[in-house]
Amino acid sequence: MIIFKDIQIHFGSFHAVKNFNLEIREGEFFTFLGPSGCGKTTILRALAGFISPSGGRIFLKDKDITDMPIEKRGIGMVFQNYALFPTMTVYENIAFGMKVRKASRAEIDAEVRDIARKVDLKETQLSKKVSELSGGQQQRVAIARALVLKPSILALDEPLSNLDAKLRVQLRNELKELQKQFGITTIYVTHDQEEALTLSDRIAVFNNGNLEQVGTPYEIYNHSGTEFVCNFIGDINRIDPVLIANSPLKAFVSSDKVAYVRNEKVNLAPIEGDDVVRLKARIVDREYYGLYSKYVLEMAGGGRMKTIEKENGRIGFAIGEETDVYIRLADIMQFDRTEREH
Amino acid sequence: MNGHTWKQRLGSLNYGQILLYALIAWFIVAFLIIPNLNVYYEIFFKGGNFSLDAVEKLLSSRRAMNSLKNSFVLAVSLMITVNLVGITLVLLTEYFQIRGARVLKLGYFTTLLYHGVVVASSYKFVYGENGLVTNALASLFPSMDKGWFHGYWAVLFVMTFACTSNHILFLGNAIRKIDYQTVEAARGMGAGTFRILWRVVLPVLKPTIFALTILTFLTGLGAMSAPLILGGTEFQTIAPMILTFSKSSTSKDLAALLALVLGLATIILLTFMIRIEKRGNYMSVSKVKSALVKQKINNKAANIAVHILGYALFLIYVTPVALIVLFSFADARSIATSTLTWNSFTLENYARLFTSMGAFRPYLVSVLYAAAASLGVVALALFASRIIHRYKNSKLAMAMEYALLIPWILPSTLIAIGLVITFNVPRLVVGNTVLTGTHWIVILGYIIIHIPFTMRMVKASFFSLDGNLEDAARNMGARTFYTFRKVLLPIVLPSTLAVLALNFIKILDDYDLTVFLYHPVYQTLGVVIKNSTDVEAGIAARAMTLVYSVVLMIMSGLVMYFVYGRGSKDK
Repeated sequence: MIIFKDIQIHFGSFHAVKNFNLEIREGEFFTFLGPSGCGKTTILRALAGFISPSGGRIFLKDKDITDMPIEKRGIGMVFQNYALFPTMTVYENIAFGMKVRKASRAEIDAEVRDIARKVDLKETQLSKKVSELSGGQQQRVAIARALVLKPSILALDEPLSNLDAKLRVQLRNELKELQKQFGITTIYVTHDQEEALTLSDRIAVFNNGNLEQVGTPYEIYNHSGTEFVCNFIGDINRIDPVLIANSPLKAFVSSDKVAYVRNEKVNLAPIEGDDVVRLKARIVDREYYGLYSKYVLEMAGGGRMKTIEKENGRIGFAIGEETDVYIRLADIMQFDRTEREH
Repeated sequence: MNGHTWKQRLGSLNYGQILLYALIAWFIVAFLIIPNLNVYYEIFFKGGNFSLDAVEKLLSSRRAMNSLKNSFVLAVSLMITVNLVGITLVLLTEYFQIRGARVLKLGYFTTLLYHGVVVASSYKFVYGENGLVTNALASLFPSMDKGWFHGYWAVLFVMTFACTSNHILFLGNAIRKIDYQTVEAARGMGAGTFRILWRVVLPVLKPTIFALTILTFLTGLGAMSAPLILGGTEFQTIAPMILTFSKSSTSKDLAALLALVLGLATIILLTFMIRIEKRGNYMSVSKVKSALVKQKINNKAANIAVHILGYALFLIYVTPVALIVLFSFADARSIATSTLTWNSFTLENYARLFTSMGAFRPYLVSVLYAAAASLGVVALALFASRIIHRYKNSKLAMAMEYALLIPWILPSTLIAIGLVITFNVPRLVVGNTVLTGTHWIVILGYIIIHIPFTMRMVKASFFSLDGNLEDAARNMGARTFYTFRKVLLPIVLPSTLAVLALNFIKILDDYDLTVFLYHPVYQTLGVVIKNSTDVEAGIAARAMTLVYSVVLMIMSGLVMYFVYGRGSKDK
């Protein structure tokens, strides 16, 4: 439905986006994930029309929209800081776009009240100034303002980053519900991996203006396409080459590769299977989190690893205790060594 | 905006925008560039050939050279006295625990109520030949010269107390921002009150004090009203001299050259000031600042001395204002003799303002000029700021911004001389008409000198706008002008209105610029107030001046309250 073809974006001499190609399907909840300055917002702004690419084309439903005026693209945008008009009421903010389109007063009123209800804004809040609302309510106004124009795409630029942790989780769920309710293709920009994993149908991971990997949250997490992706998402152990050389792992990991295993896949309790490797370690540190504990292990073969163990009421391992460690070979991700590491 | 070429940008403009850009360009060329270049031309190329006649004339004129010397002497003296008084006021109101500090502060704030010619005439009313203070002193020392209040000391005295407004506003603000934890830390290490002040507090304020010192120097250099009203024949400075020369047809070049000297000195000092500003202020490194707590002076004798000083200063500040208000309700006899009894009070003077057209006229003229000019300058600043904000990285917008800052680096006297000598002949750039002596030149003059301040404030409010607001409006289909009107303008409007009010009040009693440009038939308040200080002025005129002064003070007070008092509480 949306196709980015060979997109290049320059800011002066800075090459912000390099040869970007991507297809987003209709109705998908699609996330652009990456660290600050990786080009994810730039691509979103190019799609919305705020930035003109220096090369390449953008297609929306087979129509080339690269040079189309912003307002004709049918993309509803929610900005990081909401960009609500501070001098207008909630109602006026939501009605703004319809007024620009010269919709009738009755039509505006009906649509504004309808969308406000859908995003869970109370009737009494409509006459308030936006500054009188809480961050979460402002977020709802921004979404309502974008949705009231019935866009074919909803573009959200880090919409939850200004909220506190608890509200973020709540609004994250509401956002997903809204997307299902409207069935609208949604593009979501974030640097928060948890948001990306929980919300998305598919994720594109960006780094330095390049697209690193596109896949479902499961694929991205468990079968990271690049070393950057596996490091960026979740907590992970890089397995020490000395440990590989001194353990059964050496039959599996070749010397020109680097190997990683996710923390939770380093087991202190025995696991079944033919491809399980057993290693020896000593507990050197423990952090208690309530639901689980994080352990730092000094591996008998060399190097350290971290693991997490669910707390089940029993006293866990003590610092200094020797233990066996079990890793499934299938859980090890391997990547080519980069030049710098030789 | 990135990635857009010039062609795309120009292509997106409509006729209205092109007309607006052309208007601003015309204004800049016709009124900011041509008149100021013409000053050089008039001085050095009068007959069409390069000549240094004017310089020779200046060097051989004792009056002119004296005025130059006097101006520098005054500027240097003011640098010292204004800082001494200004810093003392700020310490008294913000730093030390002084009984009745709030009342003292109100007294010290009276300088915000009246400016320039009104201040000079008020002090003359109090300390002049028939002034109340002079009469009181004369009854104590019968042999004293009642005409004692004139010359260098009088000018220095009045200007010292009149020029502390900036200290109260800016230094007061800076001292309030000091992190109290640094004071506590110094105390913890055993430092006493005055050592902390000297070693911890004042060094943090140094950049602000430097900037204020330069502003004070410039004020002294360009002083007009105080030397004119109180300087007498022996202490005339550059600006009044420029005025005298500009009125004579044979000395216009000399006036222009003196204005140019003033301009050069201003530019040099401002360059110096920008350097200091760039060095930056001392930023507090603490994560959690704590508010300044007023310091108690533990030494009893020092504490009493500081209190006496505080109240003595209070008296100096409040006396002219109080007496002007009191005498504005007094009858002509009382005003003439500076004596007040219960029977002296009358509302006659105020009644005359509203019943006599002659009395009301200067007020009306000033209000109309001030309204037209303050609206004009705000409109110009709004559109120019919008262009600068929109085309942030464009060289043309930058050139426009610099051109609009020209009046900032030039003293108003030079600007006035430029306008007068440029537009006293028909000029093509203004449709082949003469502007000198018309209402237009007065309004233009006011607009020009208020551009820098207005631009600074309006531009700041544009640049504090969230850039996404415009994007959001565009995303919903709003066009540029619609976005400006419906989204941006309502946000910048409150601060713009505040600037408008401040400009209005400053123009209302302006004398320094007006005196060069005014239409003789349409005298403004500033001109009338100045004239009433002349020896030959009648009692009726002096009574009316008191009324004008009170009305001006009330208007200033209201504007200050709405802009700084109430406005800051809302935020």
